[in-house]
Amino acid sequence: MTGGRPLGLVLLEMTLLVLLGPLVTGTIQKLKARLQCRQGAGVLQPYRDLAKLLRKSTVQADTASGFFRSIPVLVLAATIAAGALVPVVRAGPPAFPLGDALMLLGLLALARFLAAVGALDAGGAFGGMGASREMTVAPLVEPVLMMVVFSTAAAAGTTELGTLAAHRGTSWILAWRAADLLGFAAMLVLLPAETGRIPVDNPDTHLELTMLHEGMLLEHSGPGLGCMVLASHTRQIVTLGFVAALFFPVGLADGASAIGLLLGAGAFAAKVLALATYLGLVESSYGKLRFFRLPQYLAIGFVCALAALALRIL
Amino acid sequence: MAACYGAGALSSLLARWSGRLALSVGHLAALAGALAGLSVSLGVLVGDPGHPLIQPLPLLFPFARLALSVDGLSAYFLLVISLVAIAAAIYGPAYLRAHSPEARPAQQAAQALALNGFLGCMAFLCCAGDALTFLICWEGMTLASYVLIVSDDRDGENVRAGLLYMVMTHGGTALLLVAFLALTERAEAFDFAALRAAAGDLDGTTRSTLFFLALGGFATKAGVVPLHVWLPRAHPAAPSHISALMSGVMLKVAIYGMLRFAFDLLAPADAPLPSSWGWMVLFVGTTSAVLGVLYALQQHDLKRLLAFHSVENIGIILIGVGLAMILWRREGAGGALATVALTAALLHTVNHAAFKGLLFLGAGSVLCRTHICNIEELGGLARRMPWTAGLFLLGAVAISALPPLNGFVSEWLTFQALLGGAILFHSPAGLGIVFSAAMLALTGGLAAACFAKAFGVTFLGRPRTPEAEHATEAPPSMIASMIWLGAVCVALGVAPGYAMGLLDAPTAKLLQGPGATAVVTAKGPLVLSAALTPSGTDATAISMTIVAVLLIALTAMAWVLSRGLQRAARLAPTWTCGMSPTSRFDYTATAFAKPLRLIFAALYRPRREVTREIAGTPYVIRRIHYAGEVVDLAETEIYHRVERGISALSQAIRARSTGHIHGYIGFVLGALFVALLLFGAG
Repeated sequence: MTGGRPLGLVLLEMTLLVLLGPLVTGTIQKLKARLQCRQGAGVLQPYRDLAKLLRKSTVQADTASGFFRSIPVLVLAATIAAGALVPVVRAGPPAFPLGDALMLLGLLALARFLAAVGALDAGGAFGGMGASREMTVAPLVEPVLMMVVFSTAAAAGTTELGTLAAHRGTSWILAWRAADLLGFAAMLVLLPAETGRIPVDNPDTHLELTMLHEGMLLEHSGPGLGCMVLASHTRQIVTLGFVAALFFPVGLADGASAIGLLLGAGAFAAKVLALATYLGLVESSYGKLRFFRLPQYLAIGFVCALAALALRIL
Repeated sequence: MAACYGAGALSSLLARWSGRLALSVGHLAALAGALAGLSVSLGVLVGDPGHPLIQPLPLLFPFARLALSVDGLSAYFLLVISLVAIAAAIYGPAYLRAHSPEARPAQQAAQALALNGFLGCMAFLCCAGDALTFLICWEGMTLASYVLIVSDDRDGENVRAGLLYMVMTHGGTALLLVAFLALTERAEAFDFAALRAAAGDLDGTTRSTLFFLALGGFATKAGVVPLHVWLPRAHPAAPSHISALMSGVMLKVAIYGMLRFAFDLLAPADAPLPSSWGWMVLFVGTTSAVLGVLYALQQHDLKRLLAFHSVENIGIILIGVGLAMILWRREGAGGALATVALTAALLHTVNHAAFKGLLFLGAGSVLCRTHICNIEELGGLARRMPWTAGLFLLGAVAISALPPLNGFVSEWLTFQALLGGAILFHSPAGLGIVFSAAMLALTGGLAAACFAKAFGVTFLGRPRTPEAEHATEAPPSMIASMIWLGAVCVALGVAPGYAMGLLDAPTAKLLQGPGATAVVTAKGPLVLSAALTPSGTDATAISMTIVAVLLIALTAMAWVLSRGLQRAARLAPTWTCGMSPTSRFDYTATAFAKPLRLIFAALYRPRREVTREIAGTPYVIRRIHYAGEVVDLAETEIYHRVERGISALSQAIRARSTGHIHGYIGFVLGALFVALLLFGAG
């Protein structure tokens, strides 16, 4: 058990996640380009896109209500708030109680709910389509994610991510048991669904047959779209950080020493890079699944999570 | 309090002069009654929780002394009733005038009378100190709500809904009567103390039989699957503020009865409850939660959708209650976890009352301005009714169990209790509890999908009918009552720790152990914590307040960021692939819910009928007609079968009934003979 993480550190970690989010997307794009024998845009391209969007003016659907323009802001805020709950460089609970894994999932669900509501506002069929699909996949993913959380929480006796990481031990030698392997397998199945990538969703397309998340962004423009895009980058790195905290708390600093914190940051970068590489590889080697095949795909995750739980509890 | 409700009932006599006056005075009296109820309950909960307030009633019957007794549990439910009753009383007059301006004075008087009777019966039911008062109020509540359901009849549909409601709830009342009378006969008295003493001597089988009888009775009233079929018909039929009361409060009265009966009256002294009780309640709770939300998802009638969500939320409450029953008086951390589970259930009771009340009132505002309940025909109301839309969205976020509002708090506590219970058991039983938790997560996700649909299709996009196009904002008094319930939702979400003080007395009283504050807010009023392991060291702690502050700060920062860079927005029509956009481009509720309809087709058994009118050749289609519906599995698999069985039986009996008096006398004699043979010897 380590000491609490002070407020400054929590806010610093949160800011770090927001700033590095686009870089992860850029890295995945670069990796995909190289695997397709293309040069690809630089890893900093998402930052340039964001800067461009924030400078542009807004075009709004004339049917949209007053909620429409506050939706991107609220989605971004909820996603970043979820980022505050992820231990990035140091294990242990925050010095003041903030939220746990359930709160993190709840905040991400809030962001998704608001995005879906915003998509219905413009009154086009594409927004509704995207919202409908996103809200269909989400209830199927959430219970399995919750079960994975429970399978690790059952061992540690808490659902607070920092404490969970501390309980698992921050040693470099992984002390995994069968339940952890199964839980991690379930997580690998769910990761593309939660980050909106192939085989569940395709972030590169705006074809109405395939898009889930992108469909909800169609009617946003300018800074509003910028907020939504930044929110999806943040959501991706928060999800990766969440997996890292649940399964690989290696390298997280125990104390408050500067070297330990730097080491923790380096370890975090390595872990996120590894998971991002996984996402890029999957995205390059598989096609998108038909939408109604998704329940079967997610069922694999469900079975793994159930088995992990059974091993923990029995 | 009694005086106020009585005055309200009397005020209906004013109808001789004016129905309008009767409505105003009746609702004012109801408001006064609710405020009185609020002060009584707060007095008991905050003042001196240890000592129940006992008030003997005048001697109505020669054979029984009646009394009111307000202990912690009663006071808590009285508080829930009063919170929603205040909103309903403010909302009612304006709604009834706007919704049915041509109503006759007698009808308005009947509504005012029944409303006061309904509220009075619910309030006194929770304060009842003996079985007789309890049952009389129970019946009064049913009858008054029946009057309210059929009071708004336009096409005969409501009368049928009311009849189904009467039949189902009286079936439940019969079960309750048997359970209570079996106890009163043993105790030879009606008051709860005597019943408690009599229950102490029961053997295990009798005790469990009585419990399951009462469970059947209460579950019918609470609308638990598969006894829920009356609920989605009856609740939407009543005027909207009555729907809010029925969904938000009346179902909770059944929960009160269940808690009172199981934990207080029937519980064995110093031993855990029989394990079958808790597991049964947990099982029906989980089933209700999942099926309730799944059926809600396919409803396109706004009030019916909300009614199905009541089935879901009662299920969530019962998950907490069932878990508390399982864990109560178990060794290890069982005691503390039972407190967490019961706290979660009781907190969800008040939460559901607040947000479901808010949503029904919002639906009522839409209904009174458009006279349309089908959300496919609405749309675009957010621009026309901004207050109603905003408050409905608040309720939608709350009911979808999303932070930072109150629905999340009680579901978080339920999850913590479920996880703790699973760790405690370390057996297949634990796996069952975790499975229930996974189903609860599924329920939350589906509820979010359902409310994204309900809110989006009703309030956003373009209006689909002239009625929706010309809607205007609801009257201020209706908005005010919605703001009241919305404020309760926000307060319970952002600072739930202070509400734990109110939950202290009921949990400590029922479980005879640590109260809610000692377990859940051990680390201060702004922090919620729950210890999952027996040692209790690694308590998980969250703070809704800090998360809410963080959210607001981040929203402000993001707002400044996007607004600071933004020039004035240019308005343009939505891109619809080159065609001119009309309301037919808006995504419909049927389409929104279609993926889930296909994924859960095994439960819905969807029926789909597409007929094409063609002009000579099959390649030129003139018109496509689509009809689709989903079935309620309980209705087709259980009720229709029972109905067919009864019809077949009565056909068979009719064939035997010849009309000859000799035959009937023969039957009666035969029956008497058999009865004497069976029971005469004893």
